[in-house]
Amino acid sequence: MTRHRRLATVVAIAAAMALAAGCGRDSGGEQDTAKAVGAGKATGEITVWAMGTEGEKLAEFAKGFTAENPDAKVTVTAVPWDAAHQKIAGAIAARQTPDVSMIGTTYQGEFAKTGALDPTPADLFAKDSYFPGAWDSTVVDGTAYGVPWYVETRGIYYRKDLAAKAGITAAPKTWDELKAMAKALQTKAGAKWGINLQPGKTGSWQSVMPFAWSNGATITDGDKFTFDSPAMTEALAYYQSFFTEKLAPTFLPEGQLEPDFVAGRIGAFMSGPWHVGILKDQGGAGFADKFTVAPMPVKQTGTSFIGGSNIAVFKDAKNRDSAWKFIQWLSKPDVQVKWYQTVSDLPAVQSAWTDPALSGDAILSTFGAQLKDAKAPPAIPTWEQVSAAFDSEVEKLAVAGQDPATTAKAIESKATAIGTGS
Amino acid sequence: MPKERRRLRRAVTGWAFAAPFTVLFVVFSALPVVAALAMSLTDLRSTDLRNPFAVDFVGLDNYTRLVGDELFVKAAGNTLIFVVVGVPLTMAVALASATGLNSGLLRFKALFRVGFYLPAVTSIVAIAVIWRFLLDPEAGLLNNLLGLVGVDGPNWLGDTSTALPSLIVMSAWRNFGFLMIVFLAGLQGIPVDLYEAATIDGAGRWQQFRGITLPLLRPTLLFGAVVTGIGYLQLFEEPFVMTRGGPLSSTLSVSYHIYNQFGFGNYGYAAAASYVLFVAIVGLSVLQFRLLGTRGDS
Repeated sequence: MTRHRRLATVVAIAAAMALAAGCGRDSGGEQDTAKAVGAGKATGEITVWAMGTEGEKLAEFAKGFTAENPDAKVTVTAVPWDAAHQKIAGAIAARQTPDVSMIGTTYQGEFAKTGALDPTPADLFAKDSYFPGAWDSTVVDGTAYGVPWYVETRGIYYRKDLAAKAGITAAPKTWDELKAMAKALQTKAGAKWGINLQPGKTGSWQSVMPFAWSNGATITDGDKFTFDSPAMTEALAYYQSFFTEKLAPTFLPEGQLEPDFVAGRIGAFMSGPWHVGILKDQGGAGFADKFTVAPMPVKQTGTSFIGGSNIAVFKDAKNRDSAWKFIQWLSKPDVQVKWYQTVSDLPAVQSAWTDPALSGDAILSTFGAQLKDAKAPPAIPTWEQVSAAFDSEVEKLAVAGQDPATTAKAIESKATAIGTGS
Repeated sequence: MPKERRRLRRAVTGWAFAAPFTVLFVVFSALPVVAALAMSLTDLRSTDLRNPFAVDFVGLDNYTRLVGDELFVKAAGNTLIFVVVGVPLTMAVALASATGLNSGLLRFKALFRVGFYLPAVTSIVAIAVIWRFLLDPEAGLLNNLLGLVGVDGPNWLGDTSTALPSLIVMSAWRNFGFLMIVFLAGLQGIPVDLYEAATIDGAGRWQQFRGITLPLLRPTLLFGAVVTGIGYLQLFEEPFVMTRGGPLSSTLSVSYHIYNQFGFGNYGYAAAASYVLFVAIVGLSVLQFRLLGTRGDS
């Protein structure tokens, strides 16, 4: 009995090893080229996966599309964000993908590399009509897969009333002015913390990279990481100074930021457009007049981070042409505005921003202007892992006081060990 | 040959009865285990999803990389501390409460039994919420109590030196109820006349505990140690819901690291780490059997 079992194990392992050894990577290098999309209206069933609020609201919203294309039917499956990566990865492995899926910008590199995404047909989509940073997030190895659907960016929220009390009347325009404002809010306006910046933890790279980009730093050059540069070190030193000078907290419990900002204990913080609604909810009547948003302060540039989500068609799509037509419809400026009015997703298409629904709002206009100077990290398959390493080094920098130059070197060596996945 | 045929028939009948389990076991347990082993010898990544066999065979590369992985080493250290401190602590608390309940030291036995066991059946998410409130540096019950006696409590979950100990205490609290029930059953299996005889011989409570309870409870203790050890080596839920492995990776466990690596799409590498954890679990269990198992007197 034991001998049988042992034999079976040996055979199984040997078979597995033979299988593993018998196959190898092909050298690759083949360039994906986009095929043209047939003319005429969309027909047949288009299956779409979308996450979060988008997933809940898209089915109803797509009725506008089927009204124009009566022979088409859009079937939307709502996927929770937590399960999205797994579900899409599983679908790709089983070759059972939907026609269209929303693709988080951080998934883009990974899924495009599997070869599962269809290259964007250039005849349907004009690169220039999107925000450049958003378009770049769809490009993997020189080919665009899908288009940006909606975007978001970061700015500096601050208490107008407290700033006025501290003698500051204009929004901070430079790094020095931002630092000065944080100091003034703390010393003259009674805020416990002048500003809140993320002290490490998941996603803190989105707060640090804008300062690095503004100082001319880059993430990659070809297949090489370029984190270890004087520009990056200087940006890290600037970021760290907020913590060493006790202007920003090194620990803030989850959910504490908003009440503290409303109560004036935190004078400013860096975040995206979604905070406007949260602050208006929590601040109650009249609070909307007490805060505003400044664009990222300028060093060499005033570059921010651009996030959001892309939407793409799969190579295994059963209804490819109609799928692209659906995405083309979603990218129309007026549809993008309507989508903003439905779920508050900011349009990725630049011309949509001239609509009064967006241009009429002061804070939104600030974000709109910021989007023109906003960057995304390169769409490489290993970005999630590289950014996690980045985040843990930022935590050492902000909380444990690690030297900025050491931090830049550590990020560089960790990122290089992980590789760009190409 | 009727004898041969009868044997064959019996074998077929036997396998037919065993088939439902065997098929499930082979398809859902044995196959994935072997596949994971094969995977750990390749450089399979999530970008290979469409062509999972078009990967390179890298031998033990993933395993050697683990040794040089700063985070893996840190996670292994954290897990080791968690097991070395957590298992004895949980067992001691469980044994103390079981002995207390068994000897009638406490009134309202049923109430305490339920009370001690409740954490074991409560959702980890609910526990996490409560403990985060308890350990909150500003508003938490613990630090307010410490404040009453003039001690300025630390930021339990936010400080690298207290985060892991906090999780150990929380896990001990959460898990001792189960062991207590097991130990209680073991205690009740010890004949009362042994204690009576010992009392007549003039043995005190502590002597009785050391001379009778511990030796006779050895198989139960072994079971408790093995089960708790296996569970604690796979530490995941507590850091996942309480600290996300932070601050500064001070609560990152091996399982959490594996989870992250799978999340990053490094399937081959994560499979290798899983195998290392698997071997560690087997090793710990063997060690416990050696230390606590019967020493030839059975």
